Amino acid sequence: MKTGFCVFLAAFVALGASWFGFVYGPLKQLGVATETKVLQSDDKWPVQRTGDATLGLQVYRANGCAACHTEQIRQTGAANELSLMNLGVHQATDLKDFIASLLGTVPELMNFSNAVAGNLAGWKGELPKLIYSGADDTVVLLLGDKLKAVGVKTEARVVATGADIARMGWGVRQSVAVDYLYDSPVQLGNLRAGPDLANIGVRSPDLNWQLQHLYAPKSITPNSTMPAFRYLFTVKKIGAIPSPDALKLPLTQQPNEFTPPPGYEIVPTAEAKQLAAYLVSLKNNAPLYEAPFTPITAAK
Amino acid sequence: MNSAENNSVCSNEIDASCRVPLLALFGGAALWLVLGLALGIAAMLSFHKPDMFADCPFLSFGHAQAAANDLLLYGFAIPAALGVTLWIFARLSQSPLALPIVPVVAANLWHVGVLVGTVSILLGFSTGHPWLEYPRGASVLLFAAFMLIAVSAVTTMGFRLNRELYPSHWFLFAALLWFVWSYGTANLFLVCNHPPRGVVQAVIGWWLTNNLIFVWLALAGVGIAFYFLPKIAGKPLASSGYALFGFLTLVFFGTWVGIPQSAPVPAWLPTVSAFGALLSVIPVFALGIIARKTVWGAKVPCFGGPFCFIRFGMLSFIAANLFYISEFCPRASRVLDFTWFNAGVTQWQLLGFAGMILCGAIYEILPRVMDRELPFAKLAKLNFFLFAGGTLLFVIPLLIGGVEQGMKLRDANIPFADASAVALKFLRISTTGQLLVLLGALCLLLNIFVMTLQWKLGLLKTVVGVVKDSLVEGSAYRPLPGDKSACATLQRDEEVKP
Amino acid sequence: MSDEKKSCCSNETGEPTATRSAAPMWIVVVTLALLFTGGLFLDSHGGWFDKNVYAPYQSSAQLEAFQPKSGAAAAMARGKSVYEGVCGICHNSDGTGKPGQAPALAGSEWVTAKGINRLAHIPLAGVTGAIQVGGKDWNLNMAAMGAALSDEDMAAVLTYIRTSWGNKAEAVNADDVKKVRTEIGKSPQPYSSTQLKAMPE
Repeated sequence: MKTGFCVFLAAFVALGASWFGFVYGPLKQLGVATETKVLQSDDKWPVQRTGDATLGLQVYRANGCAACHTEQIRQTGAANELSLMNLGVHQATDLKDFIASLLGTVPELMNFSNAVAGNLAGWKGELPKLIYSGADDTVVLLLGDKLKAVGVKTEARVVATGADIARMGWGVRQSVAVDYLYDSPVQLGNLRAGPDLANIGVRSPDLNWQLQHLYAPKSITPNSTMPAFRYLFTVKKIGAIPSPDALKLPLTQQPNEFTPPPGYEIVPTAEAKQLAAYLVSLKNNAPLYEAPFTPITAAK
Repeated sequence: MNSAENNSVCSNEIDASCRVPLLALFGGAALWLVLGLALGIAAMLSFHKPDMFADCPFLSFGHAQAAANDLLLYGFAIPAALGVTLWIFARLSQSPLALPIVPVVAANLWHVGVLVGTVSILLGFSTGHPWLEYPRGASVLLFAAFMLIAVSAVTTMGFRLNRELYPSHWFLFAALLWFVWSYGTANLFLVCNHPPRGVVQAVIGWWLTNNLIFVWLALAGVGIAFYFLPKIAGKPLASSGYALFGFLTLVFFGTWVGIPQSAPVPAWLPTVSAFGALLSVIPVFALGIIARKTVWGAKVPCFGGPFCFIRFGMLSFIAANLFYISEFCPRASRVLDFTWFNAGVTQWQLLGFAGMILCGAIYEILPRVMDRELPFAKLAKLNFFLFAGGTLLFVIPLLIGGVEQGMKLRDANIPFADASAVALKFLRISTTGQLLVLLGALCLLLNIFVMTLQWKLGLLKTVVGVVKDSLVEGSAYRPLPGDKSACATLQRDEEVKP
Repeated sequence: MSDEKKSCCSNETGEPTATRSAAPMWIVVVTLALLFTGGLFLDSHGGWFDKNVYAPYQSSAQLEAFQPKSGAAAAMARGKSVYEGVCGICHNSDGTGKPGQAPALAGSEWVTAKGINRLAHIPLAGVTGAIQVGGKDWNLNMAAMGAALSDEDMAAVLTYIRTSWGNKAEAVNADDVKKVRTEIGKSPQPYSSTQLKAMPE
């Protein structure tokens, strides 16, 4: 390191390498992504947002909502599951014996006999009964077919696992790059002072709920730590015709701290309505090739 | 190094050449530090009393937090580090600052940029990319100002008599390139042009964040520490080969960290980052060991002096960066991601490491360039204790609270409200620490402000005196007390002639 | 401000210097060890830069195992597993055949024929004697597999060989296999090439 040029070269090569890997590489690999297909369906993903929802992303950005909310679901594993849906003409004990004999004789199934037997131990015939859950897909297919051949209905499912997914309504699979295709700026967030919003549109699809929650979070969740965003609303005197947009507060028969003074109504600004439209548009419920799972509706 | 010393220009002249640019950089930096900390406290108030700013958008958490973070990095750390870099380069070159007017202009441009950016964020014009919130106008100003200062710094470096580079040269010079490239790239892609589609925006953002918060701060902070530690300890740095190893591993491995393990991107990106994080343990320890070996056995009076600042800074360098690296360990990230842990680590890096070293350096440099003692030396000492205690009180509750929050978040049976509520009591302690750091920053601001005032008053007095003298005697030119240029020019002439 | 002004050209402490020794060997060794460990980790978790592999999946093969399978996809997965367990031993796992053991299935006119009547006879009852496959002459015996495979398995594996390795023919369903099986009867005798050619496709 005798000359400045050597230092320059070392720093240039080092930063250049990571530029190539973390800027140029992702640009070439993910930056060219287009809509993708939802698994086992002709639908496209992601869904284009409405005009209001697109503007709502800018309200989300301007107010720094991402400082407290993430928009990304984590997944720690996945499982192929096989469940018994009915018993056909068989008794539970007979079926247990039949499955045990299959596990003992079919070569492809022998490795899984312990796992399946463990699931069936103590089973009295209640349905649906999960008989296998694990990484292997051949056991699910084979066992399913053998049982189908004797008139027993089974259901094979792929499920994503992890704490985020186990929390009801947070999402059914991990977030992947294509989910953010129509977001600019992408608002991933890195702190969960408030809950994740990747699936809020499925969890709380009601615009009025979203608006009321923005206006007074504590009117919905009493122990919420979210600040009220009253500045996105105006309190107006009710005119000759009440505003059609005015918040329909469900607590009007018992006036409380959240209800407006008598003769007044709470009208969301355009920004509040856009923000609510954006929130309702946030969904994480489509199975994709890179994030597979079996949707509950499709299985029925 | 004897010959170099004989040939050298007197340090007073070098220091004097840095006076105005450094005042412009340090003064603004101290002001932004105070404002940034105050804004940070305002932001945290939303957690103590959620509806406090329900009718005032400007100070809501989403607005104020981003503005406060950017003030600490762009308002304080970067201009302060640039000021120190200019002075160290001038000193190491044994030459007055090249083009001193350029950094003065640049410093003002920079501060205008920070002002525009901060106001824009508070008004809701943030770009929405973390650590890159300043809109186009502000970031172009910052970029231009940085380039100008870099030109002055590199020119000064080129003036050096001893051609061999000292380790601080490598770190600080690389830091200049690092910022220009990473900040330039990120702004070009995310702020100035039509941004790329989808999640690539976030990837570029993470790349920038890591290159600024981890690599850039490490380059600048360690570069500065490696200049002052040997000087204060009265011993040579141990050793240049070791430092070279630390430098190379830092730039080659450190730059690959940054993609969170939970990121919604293909597995190779976070995995490469985990790899980079694992190897970044090496430079963090190596550079820490070098600092330790350099001051080992040296009897340095500390009690709140600059040595204290820099020692605390280097200890923070190791601790904060090890915590930072742990966030990229796949297993640990399942607990640590999306919690307050990340905020705690970043504040430790910014305040405990970079902030401490920069304050120590400023207290060491200011009396030299101003050619006068600190007006409130006791406040400078108080600054250290407030900063040290405050940073720890600020950061450690965030780390512990983050881990607790993360443990609750990963258990789906615990309601989410419980997981977010567990952090609240830690935030209360943390805000107390933040308040102490703010008081410390006020000590720094007061020292710089009063020093500037004294210097300006002194200038006024001499001007008045000269005018009076010339009126009375009509006498010939006489050097001003602060003006060493006559002597220095003499020296320089001698040295240039073979 | 102090009274004692620094004299012109005093250089208080001199500029810092550095000793010249190199980095110690142990840290270089530790770095190399970490490089190796990290390299192993990259190899096992990185998904080799595949744009579809997201953690927790570690490879595209693993991701494939978690694709929900129904209808055609399930039959293909099942056919592949049967093929690899039974047929692939002689016909090779990529359907290219093995010299002296079995002809190629990839591109074979027997496999991709329009109907499945002739094709289904071969594994159900076996083949014997000279047979021409893809312009090459073979003279070997193939044992009957009918007893070992159910109609569903047979249909799945026939579908698999008819749609893999560039073969593009229609899928086979279990009922068609059942029909052929009843036609052959309980004790199948291997067919010769001429017998097969005499049947409808």
